[in-house]
Amino acid sequence: MIEQPARISPSSLPENPRRTFLVRVIQGVHTTIGATLAFVLGGAALAPGLTRRERLWLSAGDLSALRDGEPRAVTLRVARQDGATEAVDRRVVFLVRSGDGGVRALDSTCTHLGCRTRVNADALQIECPCHGGVYDLEGRVVAGPPPRPLDELPTRVEGTRILVQV
Amino acid sequence: MLARFLDWCDARTGYRAALHHLLDERLPGGTGWAFTLGSVILLLLGVQFLSGFVLAMYYVPSPLLAYDSVRYVMRDLPMGSVVRGLHVWGASFLVVAAVAHMLRAFLHGAYKAPRELTWLSGLAALLVILGFALSGYLLPWDQKAYWATTVTINVARGAPLVGEWLASGLRGGPELGALTLGRWYAAHVFLLPAVLLAFAVAHLFLMRRHGISGPLRPKPGPATPFFPWHVMKDTVVMAVVFASLLTLAYFVRAPLDEMANPADASYVPRPEWYFLSLFQLLKYFPGPAEPVATQLIPGLAVGFLALLPFLDRHPERRPWARARLPYSVGMAVLAAGVAGLTGLGLRDRPEGKAANDWGLLPVAGLELATGENSVCARCHVAGGPAAPMERTSLRRDEEWLLNHMTDPVAIAPGVRTAEDRAPRSAMGRFGAQAVVAYLRRRHAGIEPPPLEPGVRLAAMTYASTCVVCHRVSGEGGTLGPDLTAVGQRRDAAEIQAIIEDASLVYGESSMPRFKDKLTGAQIEALAGYFAGRK
Repeated sequence: MIEQPARISPSSLPENPRRTFLVRVIQGVHTTIGATLAFVLGGAALAPGLTRRERLWLSAGDLSALRDGEPRAVTLRVARQDGATEAVDRRVVFLVRSGDGGVRALDSTCTHLGCRTRVNADALQIECPCHGGVYDLEGRVVAGPPPRPLDELPTRVEGTRILVQV
Repeated sequence: MLARFLDWCDARTGYRAALHHLLDERLPGGTGWAFTLGSVILLLLGVQFLSGFVLAMYYVPSPLLAYDSVRYVMRDLPMGSVVRGLHVWGASFLVVAAVAHMLRAFLHGAYKAPRELTWLSGLAALLVILGFALSGYLLPWDQKAYWATTVTINVARGAPLVGEWLASGLRGGPELGALTLGRWYAAHVFLLPAVLLAFAVAHLFLMRRHGISGPLRPKPGPATPFFPWHVMKDTVVMAVVFASLLTLAYFVRAPLDEMANPADASYVPRPEWYFLSLFQLLKYFPGPAEPVATQLIPGLAVGFLALLPFLDRHPERRPWARARLPYSVGMAVLAAGVAGLTGLGLRDRPEGKAANDWGLLPVAGLELATGENSVCARCHVAGGPAAPMERTSLRRDEEWLLNHMTDPVAIAPGVRTAEDRAPRSAMGRFGAQAVVAYLRRRHAGIEPPPLEPGVRLAAMTYASTCVVCHRVSGEGGTLGPDLTAVGQRRDAAEIQAIIEDASLVYGESSMPRFKDKLTGAQIEALAGYFAGRK
């Protein structure tokens, strides 16, 4: 164990302007090298975490396949870049034709605990098998524990093709 | 506040005294610029460690993904190509700095008693650095990685008695593949850094224990403290080296060949420049004499360096003095040998596929994949059922790729919904091979040549007909002659005559008459293209 009775730092030595200047230059150069490395390497390490998930318009079938007031479950294949690989999510959305000719797309994930809901074609409602949540065809909660309506995804119609943004 | 905190730390650690011990070492007068190389090596090791840490975040040590993960770093990752540039070019800087440091120590006779172990720990660290370099360039899993490592393992197999055993240890399995990549990666990121750290720490500890050897004739006068007088010199050289490395990394992309293709034997492997001398040496000792180049001469060289402190025990330090002359001559022969062989190796460019040669099959693939009637674009578009073409990868094996291209839907479930019409069978076997060849080139970032209509027509004709028998730039059949450099032997008129009716030129030929099978325009396009291949 080193016994250190008093502070003897370079600054406590007799002042020597040339020496002080050299110390400043040395500190400056090493700080610059360190900061450059931190910028380049830190940038490469952190950049992918800061990018937003991109939004894609995916084709969800033809408008003619959809009848008024009859929801249709469509599986969308969402491919996204995940580093060097491609990750594929499969998302099920319910397409409902609204009265004015537009189309609504409801995410099939129950807003309660994330179960997959399904369409009950007889009762014309969307039901969650897990805890009995029930939604109407507009996605509003009719019964059960869900705290909010089903999420709605933006849609647009191009010619007769339905596009859904995920 | 800060001062009080530092006082508190000092009272418990005594770091100030340690720092003083470290910085206030007295150096002999006249310790000059030649003594800054050790600091440069420390800086470069730091850069390698940090850039390697970032690369390891993205790298995947598997033949299926290694290449794509390096491509991701080079193409998609912000500043990724600079990071890989620092690591790849930094490796070369490190080899140069370490060898220069060793030569400096030799010239100053710095290995003499009591510094024998300082020299040996440094020599061991240099060998570990070469081990890093060797294991490092397998990792991108490109053509160079695959074939240069094949050569390395074959060299190891030539070792007497333990050869086979050594080779299977390096390979990890019966063939060069996933098992090899896994163990070389593990060595590169776990084993070698730990070993290098041990040797470096020992080297620095011994250097401080015995002090530096200093200049041959120290300047009279008081010794100067290491800090800041010598540290200033270190700092200047470190700044110059770092600035050069960063500039190189920024402006020159670290090379990445086409993805490893064990089937393409037309690739002629060449190692990195720092192993070129050994590679060149192999050429002078063919066949049974090979162990002379692979074991005997390198073994003698390393043995000479390792035994130097025990052979040259005279206290004389001047390299030209009579007592040291034999060793100085030995070192000069070794240095001249390595430099001369490296120079010969650089000049001796073997004939093989040029890295940026597109050949014909990939051009046909480009036409099929991205042309007007592309079947690929039905699915591989943004928002389409499959990844857009610029995002596709080659991580499947060749068999899968070829099957996918002839019948895209059958082998890629989920790309077609029930109401989509089934696409027609996309393309024939040769078309699929053309597209795979195209993807290999494109993934390596090699720019396609200017595509005049004649070249397009020649490519499409070649891909449907000539490819069966003739090889161009590594792709195609081998029944007929290789046409990679046919322009050196024949002009356009001769080539046209051979295509039209080979038997009229050669008398008897197994090549069919194409006069009626191909159109005049097709034959003309082929003749024009091949005459230009020199």
